[in-house]
Amino acid sequence: MALKQVSSNKCFEGFQKVFEHDSAELKCKMKFGIYLPPKAETGKCPVLYWLSGLTCTEQNFITKAGFHQAAAEHGLIVVAPDTSPRGCNIEGEDESWDFGTGAGFYVDATEDPWKTNYRMYSYIKDELPKLINANFPTDPERMSIFGHSMGGHGALILALKNPGKYKSVSAFAPICNPIQCQWGKKALGGYLGSDVSKWEAYDATQLVKSYPNSHLDILIDQGKDDQFLSAGQLLPDNFIAACTEQKIPVVFRLQQGYDHSYFFIATFINDHIKHHAKYLNA
Amino acid sequence: MSSRSGSAREYETSDRSPGLSAFPPVPESSENEAEGLIFYHMDLYGSKERFDIFPEELTGQDDRSLGDTRKESALSSEKFQRSQEAGYDLEKEVAELAKMYGLDEDREKELELLGGHLEMVESRWPPARTEKAGSQGSIYNASKSSSPMKDQSQSTKQQGLPGEASQDEEENKARAEDKAESHIGSGEGLSSSDMSDEWNSQAVSEEEAADVFCSTCKMPIRAFDKLFGEHKDHEVAQLPSAVESEKEEIHKNMCKLEEQIAQMENFASHLEEIFITVEENFGRQEQNFEVHYNDAVQVLAQKYEEQLEALGEEKRQKLEALYGQLVSCGEHLDTCKELTDATQELYLENDKANFMKAAVTMVDRLEEFLKKEVDLELSTLPDFEERVIDFSEVEQLMNSINTIPAPCAPVINPQAPNTATGTSLRVCWGLFSDDTVECYQLCYKPVSNERRSDEQAEHTLKVKETYCTITNLLPNTQYEFWVSALNASGISPPSERAVYVTAPSPPTIKNKKIRSCENAALVCWESRDINPVDSYTVELSKLIDEENGDTITESIVGIPNCEVLIHLQPTQSYRICIRALNLGGSSERSEPVLIHTTGTYFCLNEDTAHPLLAILDDGFTIACDELENPECDLPVYDNSFTRCIGILGSLIPFPGKHYWEVEVEEDTEYRIGVAFENTPRHGYLGANNSSWCMRHIITPSRHKYEFLHSGMTPDIRITAPPRRIGILLDYENCRLSFFNADIAQHLYAFNSHFQHYVHPCFALETPGILRIHTGIAIPRWTALP
Repeated sequence: MALKQVSSNKCFEGFQKVFEHDSAELKCKMKFGIYLPPKAETGKCPVLYWLSGLTCTEQNFITKAGFHQAAAEHGLIVVAPDTSPRGCNIEGEDESWDFGTGAGFYVDATEDPWKTNYRMYSYIKDELPKLINANFPTDPERMSIFGHSMGGHGALILALKNPGKYKSVSAFAPICNPIQCQWGKKALGGYLGSDVSKWEAYDATQLVKSYPNSHLDILIDQGKDDQFLSAGQLLPDNFIAACTEQKIPVVFRLQQGYDHSYFFIATFINDHIKHHAKYLNA
Repeated sequence: MSSRSGSAREYETSDRSPGLSAFPPVPESSENEAEGLIFYHMDLYGSKERFDIFPEELTGQDDRSLGDTRKESALSSEKFQRSQEAGYDLEKEVAELAKMYGLDEDREKELELLGGHLEMVESRWPPARTEKAGSQGSIYNASKSSSPMKDQSQSTKQQGLPGEASQDEEENKARAEDKAESHIGSGEGLSSSDMSDEWNSQAVSEEEAADVFCSTCKMPIRAFDKLFGEHKDHEVAQLPSAVESEKEEIHKNMCKLEEQIAQMENFASHLEEIFITVEENFGRQEQNFEVHYNDAVQVLAQKYEEQLEALGEEKRQKLEALYGQLVSCGEHLDTCKELTDATQELYLENDKANFMKAAVTMVDRLEEFLKKEVDLELSTLPDFEERVIDFSEVEQLMNSINTIPAPCAPVINPQAPNTATGTSLRVCWGLFSDDTVECYQLCYKPVSNERRSDEQAEHTLKVKETYCTITNLLPNTQYEFWVSALNASGISPPSERAVYVTAPSPPTIKNKKIRSCENAALVCWESRDINPVDSYTVELSKLIDEENGDTITESIVGIPNCEVLIHLQPTQSYRICIRALNLGGSSERSEPVLIHTTGTYFCLNEDTAHPLLAILDDGFTIACDELENPECDLPVYDNSFTRCIGILGSLIPFPGKHYWEVEVEEDTEYRIGVAFENTPRHGYLGANNSSWCMRHIITPSRHKYEFLHSGMTPDIRITAPPRRIGILLDYENCRLSFFNADIAQHLYAFNSHFQHYVHPCFALETPGILRIHTGIAIPRWTALP
């Protein structure tokens, strides 16, 4: 599990670094960005995992979201992995932007030819935290997760499938009900096969219904002018309704005038960092 | 007064608070005063220089300082001996002392008067010195007795040069004597270390140095002597430690002497004062006697004159009467003689006819003459009249030597601060002259603006002292006092009238209006007197444990109004009392109130409540039963909400953070938040720019939550309806945050720079109740969203 540093830049007295490593889960070289706040030089810090959306690499978030200052202030290590295995030479992996490379969908694929490499769920859940905890001054007991769009979906399902593993969860414009939207149908069908019941294991709205009575504070921001919201790809109302039914506390903020971009993320990133810092530093 | 006063000053105008600036004036020069009392030269006892001489010398290392000491000690020893020789000649001693102490000429005169005292002081010293000298002499003797022994141990040398040895010994003896003398002279100052040094040097000249101290013989010896010499069974100590203990002993004695000197100085100055007083007193009495006895003598002389005059007059009258009688007696005798002569002539008449003629005439004359009675009674007695000598006037004069005329009018003092209570006054007065007074007659009556003051009862008291405490008065009331002095001779005219005022009644703290937060409390009270008071004082004590609240830890003085904002420390309990003050003094403490600085505590402002809104008995639950026509013809009060069934709380106007919680029913529609005090009463909370609130609405499909300011709300969905809403007002960070307090979930935050202080606001939009919880410590989870 050797790490190879790709880049390191000083940022708000801490360091934004990118590492590369050979992933056992994904059977390929994977990069991830990691921000080490100044506090990490003297003590263990909690880790906040960021999952990016379709087409993104580890670079988008660390270059566009502007989270560093808040992370430095609250002493959070922020890890931003890539969104899918890369360079696996699977036929058709680069054919479309919403499937294959850059669109891992944070599931463990069961269908050929994806099932060998496309195991992003396990990678995020197990391999990556293990790697991070082994190589950086982290507190393994304190971790949270958040993400954007597909990454928002990833964050929600990881939190909902693993009660207690994450102290908190939040999302920007998450794909809340993938089994009901085009992106989800394509990806889940491709990775998991045509049995829709198998998809439900990776659908946040479905997972809420069986979520145990364990405390989880969910914060969701959604741009009101998000083209994918109106296109019916995100379906937050379904998720809100399910949460209301299950009395799972969500604060869902429909932000007037914002779209699906990183400009939207950058606007509210501080609120999310604080949301996680509240539980991670409690 | 503590730093608390500073905080009070922030809120009260400082120039109006007399207590704050009431520092006593610093005495002009305490040095002058001290000089008046102490007549010894300050340098002798006050200066460190002199004292330090001894410890410095004790080190005994510096040859120069040793030399200086010798010179000095020689000087003082000389003086001492001289005074010894003079045989306690007082005059000389006093003069010498005066010289020694640097007294100037003026002082000497006083010293002569106090000679007896000085003698006492002086006589204390010589014995002490003698004793010292004796002890040192004995040391010397002991050392002398030891030296022959040493000499013997060096017998070869001694034998070889006997003459020289004896000469040496003579020299040594002479030197030792010199030194002993100098030790005697320098008195207490010299230490054994000094001596031991010298003894050391002496020992070195003979052989090796002494290194232990024999406590039995009080002398330094060599360790060798301890083992084998005459000190074999003696108790010994290491020389340095012996030196130390000896130094300590000497230092102690020094201290005692200093004490005695100080005592004596005090006593002497006291005597001086007494002396002056005696002289004054006796002088006054002499004068008194002179005046009175002169009067008496004059009166006596006058009486004497009067008596003599009266006596002479009587004598003259008596003599005059007697003389007249004598004259008439002579006349009568002459007539008798004449008649006798005429009759005899008649006998000699030979002519009968003539005889008969003449005889008839003669017989008639005789008959006539003899008819007259001869008065032989004394017209006056020879003795003088009994005279009563009147001594009454003299007696009175003599008596009046001790009974002086009726006194002059006393002078009544203006009221002294803090001499009054709510029901009593202490009045003081004095006499301008030295009149003798048996007692005083004190009169008083309440000062009344109305002109029926005659009806006001005047009270009169007889008092022996020049002060009186009058009780059973009314609080915060002015009284007029005047006083006359009385003695056997009569009563003086009354003094000027002085107005005194009683202290106010203790104020009453308005318990229901107390507001507090972690760092401050706002306390209001009301005065119980009609007359205004000057200011108020707040006394606050921090309760460490609930039992121990009696110590006033801080007080804030000079509060002009019936309200004060007190800075406090978080999470403590305080007991707060108020006192009212006027010229006369301070009132008793008010009933105390307890304030806990845990969280923010406020109360509801009932004046603002909509008529349909009910406040339950606990004061923190608001309810509304019916909603029909909230705008109907209900009575409208000046300050109450008219449209929105709401109420304002009264939050302490203090920066920082304030947190409270509201318990709500799931099916109740409400608006809760904050508003400026002047938020429009006819509008809805959140609909204007002077209020910020969270609104709960039930739609057919879901619970809807709005966060309203100026009628605008963000679009926010909350999946778990909060039962207990936490509201955090954070002036510092310009935020108003709402939380689901049960699960620490952040719901929404307004970011607003509040231009004024705000108050909590609550409104019901469906029948139901809201329960308000205050005094809750700010939860940690509110620090971040």
